[in-house]
Amino acid sequence: MLQNINPFYSSLSLSALILFPLLGGLFVSFITESKIRTIRIVGLCTSFITFLYSLFFWLEFDNSTPKFQFVETIQWLPYSNINFVLGLDGISLFFVILTTFLVPICLLVGWSSIQKSKKEYIIAFLVLESLMIAVFCMLDLLLFYVFFESVLIPMFIIIGVWGSRQRKIQAAYQFFLYTLFGSLFMLLAILLIFFQTGTTDLQILLTTEFSERRQILLWIAFFASFAVKVPMVPVHIWLPEAHVEAPTAGSVILAGILLKLGTYGFLRFSIPMFPEATLYFTPFIYTLSVIAIIYTSLTTIRQIDLKKIIAYSSVAHMNFVTIGMFSLNMQGIEGSILLMLSHGLVSSALFLCVGALYDRHKTRLVRYYGGLAQTMPIFSVIFLFFTLANMSLPGTSSFIGEFLILVGAFQRNTLIATLAALGMILGAAYSLWLYNRVVFGNFQPNFINKFSDLNRREVFIFLPFILGVIWMGVYPEVFLESMHTSVSNLIQHGKFY
Amino acid sequence: MFDNDFIALLPEMFLINATILLLIYGVVYSTVHKVFEPLVRNVAWLGFSSILITLILLRGSPLTTANLCYNNLIIDNFTYFFKVGLLLSTACIILMSLQYFQQEALTAFESIVLMLMSTCSMLLMISAYDLIAMYLAIELQSLSFYVIAASKRNSEFSTEAGLKYFILGAFSSGILLFGCSMIYGFTGVTNLEELAKIFTAPYVLRPLSDSVMLNSADASWSGVFMGILFIAVGFLFKITAVPFHMWAPDVYEGSPTYVTAFFSIAPKIAIFANMLRVFIYSFYDPTWQQLFVFCSIASMVLGAFAALSQNKVKRLLAYSSIGHVGYLLIGFSCGTIEGIQSLLIGLFIYVLMTINIFAIVLALRKNRFKYISDLGALAKTNPILAITISITMFSYAGIPPLAGFCSKFYLFFAALGCGAYLLAFIGILTSVISCFYYIRFVKIMYFDTPKTWILYKPMDREKSILLGITLLGITFFFLNPSPLFLVTHQMALSLCI
Repeated sequence: MLQNINPFYSSLSLSALILFPLLGGLFVSFITESKIRTIRIVGLCTSFITFLYSLFFWLEFDNSTPKFQFVETIQWLPYSNINFVLGLDGISLFFVILTTFLVPICLLVGWSSIQKSKKEYIIAFLVLESLMIAVFCMLDLLLFYVFFESVLIPMFIIIGVWGSRQRKIQAAYQFFLYTLFGSLFMLLAILLIFFQTGTTDLQILLTTEFSERRQILLWIAFFASFAVKVPMVPVHIWLPEAHVEAPTAGSVILAGILLKLGTYGFLRFSIPMFPEATLYFTPFIYTLSVIAIIYTSLTTIRQIDLKKIIAYSSVAHMNFVTIGMFSLNMQGIEGSILLMLSHGLVSSALFLCVGALYDRHKTRLVRYYGGLAQTMPIFSVIFLFFTLANMSLPGTSSFIGEFLILVGAFQRNTLIATLAALGMILGAAYSLWLYNRVVFGNFQPNFINKFSDLNRREVFIFLPFILGVIWMGVYPEVFLESMHTSVSNLIQHGKFY
Repeated sequence: MFDNDFIALLPEMFLINATILLLIYGVVYSTVHKVFEPLVRNVAWLGFSSILITLILLRGSPLTTANLCYNNLIIDNFTYFFKVGLLLSTACIILMSLQYFQQEALTAFESIVLMLMSTCSMLLMISAYDLIAMYLAIELQSLSFYVIAASKRNSEFSTEAGLKYFILGAFSSGILLFGCSMIYGFTGVTNLEELAKIFTAPYVLRPLSDSVMLNSADASWSGVFMGILFIAVGFLFKITAVPFHMWAPDVYEGSPTYVTAFFSIAPKIAIFANMLRVFIYSFYDPTWQQLFVFCSIASMVLGAFAALSQNKVKRLLAYSSIGHVGYLLIGFSCGTIEGIQSLLIGLFIYVLMTINIFAIVLALRKNRFKYISDLGALAKTNPILAITISITMFSYAGIPPLAGFCSKFYLFFAALGCGAYLLAFIGILTSVISCFYYIRFVKIMYFDTPKTWILYKPMDREKSILLGITLLGITFFFLNPSPLFLVTHQMALSLCI
């Protein structure tokens, strides 16, 4: 049935990485809900072991080759040449590590704040982790699509069951239907590719050249799906809704990983397979991204809900990423990947901060908060750090990402780079204003008069994020060196120079 | 010339004999005692066993390909797998209905006998190789159905359903017969093989010479086309395709639930088998393709939109099965081998999902599962059943990685492969729309709070086994789809050659 038709020549196995959280979830589902502590510990250990295992992939990664590493092929439909092809290269390596890094954090966040269906919470996140790792490892187009879509189901359940208020149902519906609609066009495009070339294996498809007309059609279909996930204006509406209504851990995963699926899809599939169409549509993407950055940054300034502010700033950052990606040079693409990783850390940490506030006071409106520096000092410091990181302060990881993106974009189109930099200024505006209103200033004793600072569990949750952001900001070469060969191979392949 | 007939028809003959014997058994024992309580259960279990024995006889038949009864019946790979599917689904339905008889304290064992009789006729219908044999089998099946649709004698709904089904069904059978007679009138043969020889020749020989056209039949001859049209109308009525679907919601809703399950599953299998043989084997021509394209589009659109406003479960399932027939007709109207294969895969997966959902409807009967909102808060009272319903609904909607997605993907692939881009496009649009009401089930179970307290009565063992097996099939079909793909490929090849 599941036969490996290539012997793997490395001792690390990607299929084991994908299956391990799933097995953990299965194991947990047999433990009764009364032993909730056991369930939580087992879930946490499973996700932590997966994280450590993924670090081994980084250790054994060979920086000098752009070829796919740790490749495994498992048969699916032998007569149609569609197989599970798993592999990592410089682009996807760090997304896998980001995924396995964020899921233990999510489980820790839900340790005491989730009160109903505690066991299902753990199972949902472990299943989601499996599916997300599978998305990033999959080198077969159709199966990538399958896993790309199947993350919708656990996410729908997470938003709907553990969300905070009644609007969550609408948000879950919107999230589901928006994403599904876009991706069905991608399904048609994949089937068209399969019919034309007879295979959906990416390694083979990278060598096929489609005609320019066909490329444009297929690119548009892929764009329909990825644009909803990025999200680009005007299909970005689901993001603020979904983020606001999701539980804290749901927002962390949504911002940390699920937004990256769209841009990863662009990077892995759209740009290498359809180079001429990419060049054709680059001005279109630039326009949409710049509009998105400026529009969402301006909208953010008007928001009154803490989570919505961070959600909109996520949209702005992801559109920065697309600007960098479609500049199609080394700095642009590497900057975009680094910004994606950094955004995964910074946005998730900001959502964790907001989650900490929500756990204590059960409100997310900025009006009700004030003067937190006097009563929650540790929280204020951590919140300041991540606000500055969100603004791309030099020394933090997002600065490196945005700087590289601006360098890359400037080489292509100075106007776009200028407008994007304007977006950075607006980003500073809303971030600082938010921080001032919440942390500095006077108390709001009419609304909140009992305070408690972060406890030890929460501080330990934030520490890895702080470490990651500083490390990536001060010495990013450790991360960039694994990306160099893959990215330059991408650029050479598409003849984008 | 008779030796092979008896050997080859042994399964059908056994089933007919078993039916008659069960009838006699039932009659005798229903008059022996005043009220013989276990009579219906006995008859049902004996009926189930006789179907299994028929299956074994079919499996062990020494003949794999034969023309029987003076070319009236045929057995080959195509009919073999279809009969296996039909017998298994009938066995599952009888298993599902056992608890129904017990709950209703029915003493009418005739329903089982009529179900077995219609199964015999459907077996003959699948093997039919002549228009007359086909019509006789269809009539016997329909007559049995008319009776069991009205079998709930204390319900006006049921009587109305039976009456509607009878009148409309008799009318459509008349149209079918008229079409057969027109074909006979214009060509002089009723055997499907002879018709194939007549109709395929000009299609192949047309480029060669003009004089050939004058002498041979062509499906675009007005008389022949009328005949084909009438036959198509008769068939489309039976499988509840638009615009001949009006009877379906009322009949499905009014009949007793186990009869509705039988209606949704068994005739579709048999009639599709017959349609494939008649239209793709005998009347292979692009003229009638347009008719089926129109019906497919209309069915998909109606199935998506009409179910949005339904409140009652059985009506919603009726409309969803109309929509599904639309998807199956996509594969049918392609006319290529992939088209037939995709239809067969879609049909088998549809049967799997429908058995699942009807088992659930029957299981929840005692808690009054008439309206969809009766499912409220099922996630709290019966979490495993809630997960089962969610997975089945997601599979109906075509979400990866469940079985429904595999069937839809292959259907769209076949449509794109033969150039029916419009079909695939409308297919994906209606998929998204229908997704809305499928997710509504999940929403009601997980996110709604009911107004009254729901009591839960456990379901019997047979239904649990059925639900378990079908749920396993739906969830894990994705991991190993090749056996079904290979089987259906075999079937498609043996149909065309």
